[in-house]
Amino acid sequence: MAGAPVEALRRVPLFADLDSDELHQVALLFKKRHFVQGETVMREGTDGAAFFLIEAGEASVSVAGSARANLHAGDHFGEIALIDEGVRSATITAVSELDCYGLTYWEFRPLLLANGAIGLKLLQSLAQKLRSAEAS
Amino acid sequence: MSGVLPLAEVADTSVFGSKAVGLGEAVRAGLPVPDGFALSGQTVEQVAAGDEATVSAVIGTVRPLGGPLAVRSSAADEDGADASFAGQHLTLLNVPTVDALPPALAEIWWSANSDSAISYRKRVGLFTRPSVAVVVQRLLDPETAGVMFTRNPVTGADERMIEASLGLGEAVVAGLVIPDSYRLDREGNALERRPGLKRIAIRRKEGGGTFEEEVPAAAAEQHCLGDDDLAALSGLARRCEEVYGPGRDIEWAIADGTLYLLQCRAVTR
Amino acid sequence: MATNAAAEKLRFDAPGPAFYELDPVHFPRPLTRYWTEVHPAAFASGTADFARYYGMLIGGLAMSYVNGFGYKNVLPPPEEEIPQRFARADEIFEGKLWREQLKEWDETAKPTAIATHRELQAVDPDALSDDALKAYLRRCRDHHAAMIEQHMRFTASAVVPTGDFVAHVSDWTDVPLPELLGLMRGASPVSAGASAQLERLVAALRGDPDAQALLASTDDPHRVLTELRAFDGETGAAVTDYLDLVGNRPLDGFDISEPTALELPDALLRAIRTAVAGDAEANDVEQRIADVRAKVPEEHRDTFDELLGEARLMYRLRDERGVYSDIWASGIMRRAALGAGRRLASAGRINEPQHVLDAGLEEMCGLLDGAASPSADELGSRAAYRAAHSAKDAPATLGTPEPPPPDPSGLPPGIARLMRATGTALGALFGSSEAEHEEHLLRGLAASPGIYEGTARLISGAAEFERIVQGDVLVTISTTEAFNILLPLLGAIVTDSGGLLSHSAIVAREYGIPGVVGTRQGTELIADGARVRVDGTAGEVTVLP
Repeated sequence: MAGAPVEALRRVPLFADLDSDELHQVALLFKKRHFVQGETVMREGTDGAAFFLIEAGEASVSVAGSARANLHAGDHFGEIALIDEGVRSATITAVSELDCYGLTYWEFRPLLLANGAIGLKLLQSLAQKLRSAEAS
Repeated sequence: MSGVLPLAEVADTSVFGSKAVGLGEAVRAGLPVPDGFALSGQTVEQVAAGDEATVSAVIGTVRPLGGPLAVRSSAADEDGADASFAGQHLTLLNVPTVDALPPALAEIWWSANSDSAISYRKRVGLFTRPSVAVVVQRLLDPETAGVMFTRNPVTGADERMIEASLGLGEAVVAGLVIPDSYRLDREGNALERRPGLKRIAIRRKEGGGTFEEEVPAAAAEQHCLGDDDLAALSGLARRCEEVYGPGRDIEWAIADGTLYLLQCRAVTR
Repeated sequence: MATNAAAEKLRFDAPGPAFYELDPVHFPRPLTRYWTEVHPAAFASGTADFARYYGMLIGGLAMSYVNGFGYKNVLPPPEEEIPQRFARADEIFEGKLWREQLKEWDETAKPTAIATHRELQAVDPDALSDDALKAYLRRCRDHHAAMIEQHMRFTASAVVPTGDFVAHVSDWTDVPLPELLGLMRGASPVSAGASAQLERLVAALRGDPDAQALLASTDDPHRVLTELRAFDGETGAAVTDYLDLVGNRPLDGFDISEPTALELPDALLRAIRTAVAGDAEANDVEQRIADVRAKVPEEHRDTFDELLGEARLMYRLRDERGVYSDIWASGIMRRAALGAGRRLASAGRINEPQHVLDAGLEEMCGLLDGAASPSADELGSRAAYRAAHSAKDAPATLGTPEPPPPDPSGLPPGIARLMRATGTALGALFGSSEAEHEEHLLRGLAASPGIYEGTARLISGAAEFERIVQGDVLVTISTTEAFNILLPLLGAIVTDSGGLLSHSAIVAREYGIPGVVGTRQGTELIADGARVRVDGTAGEVTVLP
């Protein structure tokens, strides 16, 4: 089966406002990716290329060397890469064998350009994130 | 058009990448290339995406090769950039059977789309989407393997420079050993022979993958190529030049006493 | 699997009943026939001389050649001389008799040698008749033999005081050997390639903008040197003076097979450019001496000063005795032989001028007389043999090992001290004699040309990539495509393993930064954060103090 399970996508706040059809379109773009235990999934300060959704396994998050959180099935990370190709803000390491669904901005971009509605909704969720980050 | 072709039929670099096309030319010229297929960038992406139709087509076409397999990326969008420099080129050795091919292809796709690959492309000014084609061949179990340049890359002299080590040639390409080094003139006479320090050999593992085997001290410092081998390599250099022209970077391997050509591309430096 | 068929055919028989050791440090390749004929007698005579002078318990050293490879053995002392040797060893230290040798060197041996070198090198072999050329070849050979003997004669004086100093300080402190040898720095300008002539040259060039412009040009180096020689006034004179001094020296090694400086104008020009551009090396040797002295127990400090003084006094003799004796003479012999070689090649008698270097001296003269042997092909195959083999093809020892030398502590003090000093010197200095003033120097394969100085960063893998900052020198075991991402930041690349066709070598060349691969121990010997100079043209990495 190609792509990520739609249900998994539903839980991602960034995609919260997408309807079923839009979610399906996005879900189809994902590809499976496996990381071995101990592998660095992404490194703080380097350019990002893909957004990941965890299907199974555990990953740790650290910023400036200090551990911040652990991620599990259903969690996601790296969404900034879909928007602005910017640098990663944290280092993510696979604590166990890690199965993910990944989406690169190359794949996401055409969809965004073709479907303005998705873009608008992404902007709205991001704006929300910003407001809550500023508030805390 | 078909995204999976036997090497003999591969000619389009924008679809199959220069490594595959180079090998295609070699096969058509009668050079000793191990049997194999080329998979287009689009095919690789579809397999990575999990598209069932593409996956079965690939497995069905490649199955006659048997196993184990060597899977090498063949960058399809050089844009004139030097391949060895601009690419994040992944080679997967010892994919044990054709059924293990789809995950290997996915791994290759991801390596071309990884953070560091994309970062690197941006840094060197390649802003287009990466497209990575693949070459799949029977994996050899060589006694010796390595690299040969048909021109001295340091002095520019009209010589053949050969570096050789035991086992799979990755040990030489990736610089894991100090290889034996030989310089020959155009006629094949040895101008210099310098034994290296070949402490490890890359060998195939049962069930897939490779491992680093420790080489006993005596063998590590003994010449691994004799006069017959050098004569064969000299002949191969000449034939490659006839097909491709001067200034070639050749990857070769000697398995069961037979010399094979694994790659032949332009010397960049 | 094939092995080197040629090496398999070589038989290595011990030349006699003794125990023989290969000397790959001085002789990494097989020697020419000429050398194997000239060297042994001169070597034995010179070493016997220093053994007697110093009262050593050896008769001298002998060098034998098996398949062209040099094997050394120690000769026993003449029994009847042993009592006077014991006495002599005491006299040596009481009278500091090495100073007598230094005096002889400075006042007689060195100036006489230099005068003969200059006289011989002023002859143009191409202008000589065949008979005159033969006579000239024999003169050059005789001079070379005398110079080899001279070199060996001064060997003990060159090393015993240093060995004595090191042996004593090793008893008092645990300062490592390379650091102790480093205290000699500044005592020998010639070790650093310096000389009065080089100083004069540097001064002249620095004062002459036209000459500097020419020096910096990328024109044919041979032409650049010729033009610099022709400059008016002080510049031309200084260039000529310098080239006369160093031009006929082999750049590496001792045999007539080694090219001389004038034959490698590129390397020569590079050396001159470096000298002209170079800042004086920060000389903190005084401080380092003080540091070591502070570690010596107070009751020994006066002795420390005395021994160090003698070692530093004698230190320059180590290099001078070679550079001004047989090294120069070898270059002169080569030049003469090549003159014969050109003549023989144009007569069709040999295939290439340099093949003459594989003929013995009398064979060279015979060829000039029209002798039938050795044939052109025979000489060609001797040359090919030497090119195709290295010390790695030869066994490290031949014959049965001897019992170890007597425990020095059971011997009279003079001899014991001498043996310790010599043992320390020959063991450490001889073994690393090439490397001594090259401590902190690593050699590898010259993968990508250029010279770069920067901070070494030891990187074991992608996890450490972020430690690299702009201008660093990457030091690692080997590289893969994953390292490409670092290239825009790097000033140079150094690896432990890998060949000239490996990934690291290729990317260094493509990226145009200096690269030295296959150093074997770069990651062990270079500390993270150390300042290094990477010379990708010479294949050397120097850890800077």
